[in-house]
Amino acid sequence: MREKVDQLRQTALESLKQLHQPQDLENWRVRLLGKKGELTELLRGMGALPAEERPRVGQLVNELRAQLENAFAEKQKALQNELRRIKLQAETLDVTLPGRAAPVGGRHPLTLVQEDLCDIFQSMGFDVVDGPEIETDHYNFEALNVPADHPARDMQDTFYLTDTLLLRTQTSAAQIRTMESRKPPIRIVCPGRVFRADEVDATHSPVFHQMEGLVVDKGITMCDLKGVLEQFAREIYGPETKVRFRPSFFPFTEPSVEVDVSCSACGGKGCRVCKGSGWIEILGAGMVHPRVLAGCGIDPEVYSGFAFGIGLDRLATTRYKISDIRLLFEDDVRFLAQFEGGKQV
Amino acid sequence: MKMSLSWLRRYVDINVPVEQLCDKMIMSGFEVEDIEDRSACMQNVVVGRIVKLEKHPDADKLQICQLDVGGEAPVQIVTGAANVFEGAYVPVALHDSRLPNGTHITRGKLRGAASDGMLCSGEELGLTESDYPGAGVYGILILQAPQTPGTDMRDVLQMNDVWIDFKITANRPDCQSVLGVAREIAVALQVPFHPPVPSYTVKGGNLTDLVRVTVEEPELCPRYMGKAVVNLRIGPSPDWAVQCLKSAGVRSINNIVDITNFVMLETGCPMHAFDLRDIAGGRLTVRRARPGETITTLDDKPHALTKDMLVIADENGPSCLAGIMGGADTGIKEDTTGVFFECAKFARASVRRTARALGMRSESSARFERGVDAGTLPYAIDRALQLIEQWDAGDIVDGTIDCCPVPPQPRTLTVQAQRICDLLGVQIPTAEMTSILTRLQIPTTEKDGVLTCTVPTFRDDIEGRADLAEEVMRVYGYDHIVATPLRGETNRGTRLPERRVTDRIKALLCGLGLYESKTYSFIGAHAVDLLNLAPEDPRRQEIVLRNPLGEEYSHMRTQLFTSMLNVLALNLSRKAAAARLFEADKVFIPRALPLTEQPDEVPALCIGLYGAQEDFFTLKGVVDAVLTDCGVHGVYARANEPFLHPGRSAAVTDEAGTPLAVLGQVHPDVAEKLGAEVPLYVAQIWVRPLVQAALARRVLYQPLPRFPAVERDLALVCDAELPAAEIEQTIRAGGGKLLTGVTLFDVYQGAQIMAGCKSVAYRLTFQSSEGTLTDAQLDPVLEKIFKKLREKGCQLRG
Repeated sequence: MREKVDQLRQTALESLKQLHQPQDLENWRVRLLGKKGELTELLRGMGALPAEERPRVGQLVNELRAQLENAFAEKQKALQNELRRIKLQAETLDVTLPGRAAPVGGRHPLTLVQEDLCDIFQSMGFDVVDGPEIETDHYNFEALNVPADHPARDMQDTFYLTDTLLLRTQTSAAQIRTMESRKPPIRIVCPGRVFRADEVDATHSPVFHQMEGLVVDKGITMCDLKGVLEQFAREIYGPETKVRFRPSFFPFTEPSVEVDVSCSACGGKGCRVCKGSGWIEILGAGMVHPRVLAGCGIDPEVYSGFAFGIGLDRLATTRYKISDIRLLFEDDVRFLAQFEGGKQV
Repeated sequence: MKMSLSWLRRYVDINVPVEQLCDKMIMSGFEVEDIEDRSACMQNVVVGRIVKLEKHPDADKLQICQLDVGGEAPVQIVTGAANVFEGAYVPVALHDSRLPNGTHITRGKLRGAASDGMLCSGEELGLTESDYPGAGVYGILILQAPQTPGTDMRDVLQMNDVWIDFKITANRPDCQSVLGVAREIAVALQVPFHPPVPSYTVKGGNLTDLVRVTVEEPELCPRYMGKAVVNLRIGPSPDWAVQCLKSAGVRSINNIVDITNFVMLETGCPMHAFDLRDIAGGRLTVRRARPGETITTLDDKPHALTKDMLVIADENGPSCLAGIMGGADTGIKEDTTGVFFECAKFARASVRRTARALGMRSESSARFERGVDAGTLPYAIDRALQLIEQWDAGDIVDGTIDCCPVPPQPRTLTVQAQRICDLLGVQIPTAEMTSILTRLQIPTTEKDGVLTCTVPTFRDDIEGRADLAEEVMRVYGYDHIVATPLRGETNRGTRLPERRVTDRIKALLCGLGLYESKTYSFIGAHAVDLLNLAPEDPRRQEIVLRNPLGEEYSHMRTQLFTSMLNVLALNLSRKAAAARLFEADKVFIPRALPLTEQPDEVPALCIGLYGAQEDFFTLKGVVDAVLTDCGVHGVYARANEPFLHPGRSAAVTDEAGTPLAVLGQVHPDVAEKLGAEVPLYVAQIWVRPLVQAALARRVLYQPLPRFPAVERDLALVCDAELPAAEIEQTIRAGGGKLLTGVTLFDVYQGAQIMAGCKSVAYRLTFQSSEGTLTDAQLDPVLEKIFKKLREKGCQLRG
């Protein structure tokens, strides 16, 4: 009897190894473990044994059943895994094939630069405000300490609409509107479109964009101006960026400075980008002229402030190395798709 | 302003290399626009003496020269020029030399004869007759004898100079002069400044016998000075002065004219020279031009004058446009024997307006427009007379005319030193401040922390504390400014709601596959004609620029369509198969024309699409997405826009009837004008109502449905003209609260459907929050819908 059990074990396990199809496995289960299976047959054959042997043999048969059931379960698992593997293999894709195009668009490079700047200054507590593009002579010039027939008017060729209305030449006009409508402390930036009668070429456009900044409070110094601009410059040009002030002239600030940043291409050693100087001019700034403050009803004996104006087009063209400013207003989709989005068109 | 280094060196001891000088000047407020090393353009060109001249054996027109160029052996050069002769001094470009026109000369052979360089013409050296006598002659430049062979030609031509172009800011008219810049250099380098001290001897006579001057308009001419010189000896100016003038771009004429130009460049005070013979009646009057008066200026151009223009007139009428240009017939001529020098201050606004009105600009008017210092005039006129004497150009007549009702005086400013430090944020020692200001020729003393500054008349830009702070700081050095973080009350920075909503719409459109475009705010004078608008269409009411760059950029846009259409056309012309674009910008709606006040600047949004995937409904999908995102339900109706397809365009309002948008396929006539052979789709959306709606939107959570929805499909046949919106409205009216969704899924016209009719199919969704709907509950609702539809003329199919 014991030989029979052993033989059955051996043939059963041997045949199980040969199975590869789920149906064969099921057949195997029925043949061996089914109600009329070989194990059942074996148990039935126990009737011929002496009574004292039956429990021992019974135990042997039950052990074999447990063993075969385990083997079955294992084989079943292995077979399932194998089938899953085959199925997955059959489903394999060439993942380098192109994706099914989802709509992707993007903002204009000038918008991207403007939004970055708004974020930086907003995080420093500046409100982002707006101002009219068709301005009065008063807000664009007079209140900014540029009276009629002043030579400083020649610094900017102005588009006039009437004797007193013009296309704003600078976002600085927003300074005055802000100081007239708010009381210090004031911290604002005003991004927007400005206009100057420059003939169109690779570096000049009659329409361009600026961001004006203004801070007015008690005890504001030129060091604070440098602090704000340094923080801005480091966010835009990198944490190692240095800021340099160079004396200049703007009618509405005194002292006035041109602001240079250390050239990010060469780290300030001097290269072609910075024409060997190690510095790149990025904006004009200064302490708000006492006459401008007084004109807005802010006592220059009590308050001081600073203002700065950043050219956004220049920032965009340098950031993206755009060689011709006209590309910004031409709107070729192959150009526009290079900044955000990037769909192949 | 361009000036030569050697000119500057006459007044200031420049003890550093030119690059270092420029760096110092940049950091004290004088940007350097250009440094022109005059010597760099010519190399290895020397004086040669022709010692022997032979005909070339194999060429009729060539000659072989043996030249002494200072070396031991002569140099052989072959030339084709005919004007050379033995003993002549000529410029020789030796082997490996460089000429101003960029030519690189090397040795070679001409018809078999060795030629170790080239003889140069005046033109090849970049010279004209006024630079060197004979330079304009055709042939080799024959130098004036004697010369030393081997001398560098740059020394002969005085080309060992450096020209520096300083950018002078508008607040520093005093530095529109060589002396002004030299004074600044002296401060920046901390070296002595030694301007010329004018002195001269008069030769008798009496000025008032020759000329009398009346100033009728002291407001426009605060100071008028004059001197006379007789027995003129007109001739060339000294070489060094000619070179000085050349560096400033001024051509030498003769000693008298050169003196007026030299003094203007040196001191910043423009001068004018009248021929004494041409002052009719011996009287000059500074007055406004009279109606009908005209003048022909030195450049032979006639001008009609108005009463706003200031002139210098004699008995015969205007002989000079004050501060701008002299009359053609009163200038210095070859036979002029006596001259009256004018040195005046004319008000800058007056000169500026006259110059603009007449479209004229001169070195003189440019200086007057920026401001000439009345206090410097006596110095300038004395300097001119000193040069007359030094150059022996004439005899100075006794007497000076000086019409100056209010003599300019230095002003005294007092300011607390600490207030200057407070503004700068830098603690500068008081002694340092007084030293800097005094060196800037603003004599300053300090007592108890108060600075007393005497501001010279040529610095009328200095008005107070802030100006003094700048003067101190630019010399003390801006690198002393240390960055400090902003202190004080801090607020959270905000963005305007309009900006927030617009940013959100932009992001949405980008997500829908649109790219943002930007175009100019002004469009062509006739750009709007593209839209075929009726003459009375308000969009033709455009604000016009007075001085546009051209007709192309002259009108402020009242709509964004034309710009977008042109962008679409550009992309089509560049073979882009498809484009999805939007532009968000202001349009300018005048409240009245001609313009009397600032217009309404209305934010608008334009969308433009074309490509195989696009049709009216993809455009509508984009517009709907924008409206829905702002919480607006758009009501669509047929639009009546002359530039849109009459059957494929819509006007959108909100439920209250406020216009929100116009959209549609571009009219084929318009597309044709743009050269577009594929359909274009455009929309313009008004942003303000969307911003309002978005801001007014209050969102409250709606519980999610607990019971499943039930769907019913519905097929109808109706008049082909019945708008889908009307059918949907009818279904919704009948469906009541239980009807939660109406989706159109098929529209069909053609076989099996009666002509003039269409078949439409809807899927209706019903849902209740109280339980799963049963047929018994639904049937009466459906019946009601059917009834309403039948009333509209719809028949139910199968």
